[in-house]
Amino acid sequence: MTSKDELLKHLADAVIEGDEDKCAELAQESLDLGMDPYETIMKGCNKGMEIVSEKYEKKEMFVPEILLSADAMYAALELLRPHLKVNANTKKTGNVVIGVAEGDIHDIGKNLVLMMLDVAGYTIFDVGRDVSVDTFVQKAEEVDADIVAMSALMTTSMVRMGPVIEGLKNKGLKAKVIVGGAPISQNYADKIGADGYGKDAVEAVRVVNKLMEA
Amino acid sequence: MGRMTSAERMQAVMMGQKPDRVPVNPFAMGYCTQIVGMPLGDYYADGKKSFYAQFMSMRLHGYDVTPMYGYASCGPWEFGGEIGFPYGPGHSAPYVKRHPVNSIEDVENLEVPEFKDGKLPGAYQVADDLFQLCAKYNMPVTFQSGSTFTAAAVVADTNMFLKWVLKEPKVLHQLLEKVSDMYSNAIEFFANKYGPDHVMTFDGGPVEANTLLSPKMFEEFAFPYMRKLHKKIADEGIAAVLMHPCADQNLNIPYYVKIREEHNWKGKYIWVFGPETPVKDQIAAFGDHDVVCGNVDPPSFQTKSYEECLELCRQNIEEGKDSPSGFILAPGCEFPPGASPDKLMAMMDAAEQFGRYD
Repeated sequence: MTSKDELLKHLADAVIEGDEDKCAELAQESLDLGMDPYETIMKGCNKGMEIVSEKYEKKEMFVPEILLSADAMYAALELLRPHLKVNANTKKTGNVVIGVAEGDIHDIGKNLVLMMLDVAGYTIFDVGRDVSVDTFVQKAEEVDADIVAMSALMTTSMVRMGPVIEGLKNKGLKAKVIVGGAPISQNYADKIGADGYGKDAVEAVRVVNKLMEA
Repeated sequence: MGRMTSAERMQAVMMGQKPDRVPVNPFAMGYCTQIVGMPLGDYYADGKKSFYAQFMSMRLHGYDVTPMYGYASCGPWEFGGEIGFPYGPGHSAPYVKRHPVNSIEDVENLEVPEFKDGKLPGAYQVADDLFQLCAKYNMPVTFQSGSTFTAAAVVADTNMFLKWVLKEPKVLHQLLEKVSDMYSNAIEFFANKYGPDHVMTFDGGPVEANTLLSPKMFEEFAFPYMRKLHKKIADEGIAAVLMHPCADQNLNIPYYVKIREEHNWKGKYIWVFGPETPVKDQIAAFGDHDVVCGNVDPPSFQTKSYEECLELCRQNIEEGKDSPSGFILAPGCEFPPGASPDKLMAMMDAAEQFGRYD
């Protein structure tokens, strides 16, 4: 293993361990060594978060640990992103508008999805929580969104997702819609005309990737 | 067996005897506002209106539980923060507008609310308006006594709180101690005011769910305060606790089993687990002592037909009806406030058609 490979492995490990200082240190070291920041993000930060996702699915890691991993990852991303150059190797993945449905302030799940999509390379437009139908639609139009991702934790807020989908259609926008959250099911997603459903943050990223390929 | 009244039916279950049929607790809170044409916000902002809505819904549908007061974001208002009442589109319950704890210093300065008659902290004053009506009509007074972990997670900024699980465990314990002291004060106050024989406490919350928290974290941060408060409940002579481990808490079940064992309490727990916990697992863990409730998937009442809801309730009854210490048909969390009344009828019809003990 070359020292560059070792550095990337250490960076992935530091993300998994939620070690913010170590992540920042290794990100800086990669820049000093002249490593491609895109490669450092994808093979270090992204690799680390993929492992975190797998461990979450297996109930080997839980939300407090993931939040620290996210902080650690962002400590590295902050240093690396200003050095990114758009070239043939830097694949543009898509614009995602993400938020919590109207009337709902529960945003832990939304933030996990946001972070995982972010490190996967998507350009994120976070509209926050308790987001009105109009705000979702306007933001999707403004940023020419490829994906609109909505979450809801309550049975009262899940019914605010359908009007967003209608609003996007009425405007003729191309955005595909993914929904998720505790009361949501595949059946409900189908019923309101969503293009995808993620039962958790890990699956949400898989579904978005699939929607983007379609 | 002759037909029982709701009060007789519930009493039979709590005494470990067979009622005429499976009782129904629809966990109907915000839903009741539909029955009386009341804004949802009024239900939580005004204890008398809350009682009226629940009382009318109970009478109209004929279900077996009496009015109560509580919501998941209990804590911030009581500790000096700010909540909003659910008057807007998509709202379901009071929500936090300003957390009283946003830093470690805030935890140090946090004062535990006192309970004095006529000057109760935050929503407990609203609740007491409802409790006085319960007492007047000889209904049990059911007040919120937890969970400490869920309340502390909204007293503090929630993301910060969850990071403290790993980064600032001492601060987290300091906060949890203060929140549990508030609930301890509530237990003492209401047991004294209404008499321990007339009160029941409600303990539960979603932040302990294993989608968020590991069982190890539960053991370290949630269980000690649950144990403390349940000892207080036992010491005060309260004989019934409605427990709602919200969402997927399957990995926490061994700790819930230990609560009774730790202080050899003789009272009854009434367990309402989420739909993620099979009824047979609840019976295995608690059925010898406690009343187990059903856990029909709540969104189904909003998205499925009457016939489908009836079938889900029938299955739930079949699974739980013969639990040794009693069974109550219930959804696995609050009945959806926006569900149509025929779906609650499905619960009642299922209890009548499939829940009779002959």
